[in-house]
Amino acid sequence: MSYIDVIKEREDLVSPGISACAGCGGELVLRKVLQVAGSNTIVAVPPGCMAGAGVIGWNFDSGMKVPVCIPLLDNTASFLSGLSHVYQRKGRGDVNIVAFAGDGASADCGFQSLSGAAERNEKILYICYDNEGYMNTGYQRSSTSSLGSMTSTTPIGSKTAGKQQHQKYMPLIMAMHHIEYCATASPSNMSDLIAKVTKGLEASKNGFAYLHVFSPCPTGWGYDPNLSIEVARQAVRSNLFPLWEMDSAGMRLSYTNRSPVSVAQFAKNIRKFRGLTDDNLASLQALADARYQTICNLAGVS
Amino acid sequence: MTMEKRLVLTGNSAAAEAAALCRPDVIAAYPITPQSSVVEHLAQMVYDGDLDAELVQVESEHTAMSVVQGAAVGGGRTFTATSSQGLALMYEPYFRMSTLRLPTVMAIASREMTSPETIWSGQQDAVSVREAGWIQMFCESNQEIVDMIIQGYKISEHPDVCIPVNVCYDGFYSSHSISGVSLPGQADVDAFLPSYSKNYSAILDPNKALALDPMTPGNLLMKYRQNHLASMQNALGVIDQTDQDFAKKFGRSYGGLIEEYRCDDADIVIVTMGSMTGAGKDAIDAARDDGIRAGLIKLRFYRPFPAARMVNALKGKKAFCVMDRSVCFGWDKGSMYVEILAALSASAEKYSYFSAIGGLGGADISLEDFLQLITQLNRIKNTPGEHKTHWLIKQ
Repeated sequence: MSYIDVIKEREDLVSPGISACAGCGGELVLRKVLQVAGSNTIVAVPPGCMAGAGVIGWNFDSGMKVPVCIPLLDNTASFLSGLSHVYQRKGRGDVNIVAFAGDGASADCGFQSLSGAAERNEKILYICYDNEGYMNTGYQRSSTSSLGSMTSTTPIGSKTAGKQQHQKYMPLIMAMHHIEYCATASPSNMSDLIAKVTKGLEASKNGFAYLHVFSPCPTGWGYDPNLSIEVARQAVRSNLFPLWEMDSAGMRLSYTNRSPVSVAQFAKNIRKFRGLTDDNLASLQALADARYQTICNLAGVS
Repeated sequence: MTMEKRLVLTGNSAAAEAAALCRPDVIAAYPITPQSSVVEHLAQMVYDGDLDAELVQVESEHTAMSVVQGAAVGGGRTFTATSSQGLALMYEPYFRMSTLRLPTVMAIASREMTSPETIWSGQQDAVSVREAGWIQMFCESNQEIVDMIIQGYKISEHPDVCIPVNVCYDGFYSSHSISGVSLPGQADVDAFLPSYSKNYSAILDPNKALALDPMTPGNLLMKYRQNHLASMQNALGVIDQTDQDFAKKFGRSYGGLIEEYRCDDADIVIVTMGSMTGAGKDAIDAARDDGIRAGLIKLRFYRPFPAARMVNALKGKKAFCVMDRSVCFGWDKGSMYVEILAALSASAEKYSYFSAIGGLGGADISLEDFLQLITQLNRIKNTPGEHKTHWLIKQ
């Protein structure tokens, strides 16, 4: 089945009436993930944008056509570990056990439980939709917010402007856990994303699979909602968000970036970057160049 | 009835052996002094093939409780154990375990809370989380640990209860002390404790899609709390009934919610909880030999609080003292003392009574301490009202 057919024909298992913002990258990705996963799936969505948008349920109704729960902000991977063990024990390892969690629930508050579950190689597909901040609670800083980002806790002040540190590069940290499958994906590269969700689900039958998805946020970042896919594309093309995957065969580059755009080009129409200094830009550019080079080196691409 | 095995075990090994007899599907626990050997003992059983259970070797207590929670949502019987700082770390999923109304048994080898730095005994850990919706009981002996873990599952999984259970025992005094223990046969435990799948199935299952814990408005949430509280009250009866059912099958009864020791004609009574009770009973015997009409009430269940039985047990007594191994920071008193006064309410004024605090941070509560309390009670027994808090601090 081609990815176009998957998107066209597979049932949408998320309620049509959820309250995610127009242009939300996370909602788009969630719907595609569930189209691939299908109905033999249990989903955990911790507190964050997607839970806040009502995908667990609202007004005495369920937000999905598959069983769904809201774990704690910091225990998604450990809660699903227990669930997965019982399903294995009952001989029902065919059930997809899927986490759909934001960067706060994955990289910050939930990092310990995520790292523990990965180290134990639990049979789970864990998807982090990274919108680089605590968008659901009002756009606060997270450890994946990039340098210079304006958030409600790293404002543009008269003395200090934006986040003062670079982002934590989660996907490579997760890859170093020797898990079954690890990949990055972007809604701008949908064929690649659908293929990686499919691989991740297969891998989760044998161990831990982690997918880190770039999740553009028009409301929190400040750009027109119709530009979400373009913003995601520019992030990939700027090398701030290279696409790659890793399994027991090693790391592979999923998108060879022959003509990168500058970080300045990526950032220029996004309001959260309005306080970027020249030093910030130079530092971000160096980070993007080094990140792409690191991935190329690991993938054996010269 | 199959033969019981007579073994010599530490409290921690007794807890592990009893948990294994209850056929848990999933065990997740993180080692912490003084509970560690519970985890080690269970791991050895699983690694030797003597126990068929999923052993999830977690990176923290927060995850231990979360794994157990996920497993219970998947329809599995679970076991975990912790102490002190570990219990504090797991408070977030701990509270949710009870409010999700998921049955389980968790052993607590109780330990003092830091600061100052300490690793020794104290009941402050378990007592501090008394309002997290769990059933909490405290053991005196290693035999009681075995029997209460088995009874714990029966109580927790009872359809009128559905509340997780803490089986607490004093760190080191019980967890590391070795004594003879009768371990029931597997067939008898199986007969006493029906398989988990008989009453519980997966809550999250693709065969019946539903949402677990969608956003819930206050009036519905209050109904959940009201039901939880009602089930706690149901547990009062279930606990006493389970004690009797267990006695019929295994020949050991502990009195259910409380145990009364030589209380019938007593003037003065000491209330205890946990391993200190042994020394307390010896002191009562010694006082009796001296012609003092003394008795002891062992509080076994702290949650639900057995107010009616406690009030009844104190009826007709002149004086009592409550010996706490934890403090209540809101009052200049021990925690259990405050609960007992709440139960007695206005009728307290008939008694002469005081709070005693001791045994914190691993300090011993000795026979001499209890004899001193008895002397004090005997002195004040005809002076009704509350007397000064008595701290058992040795210089």
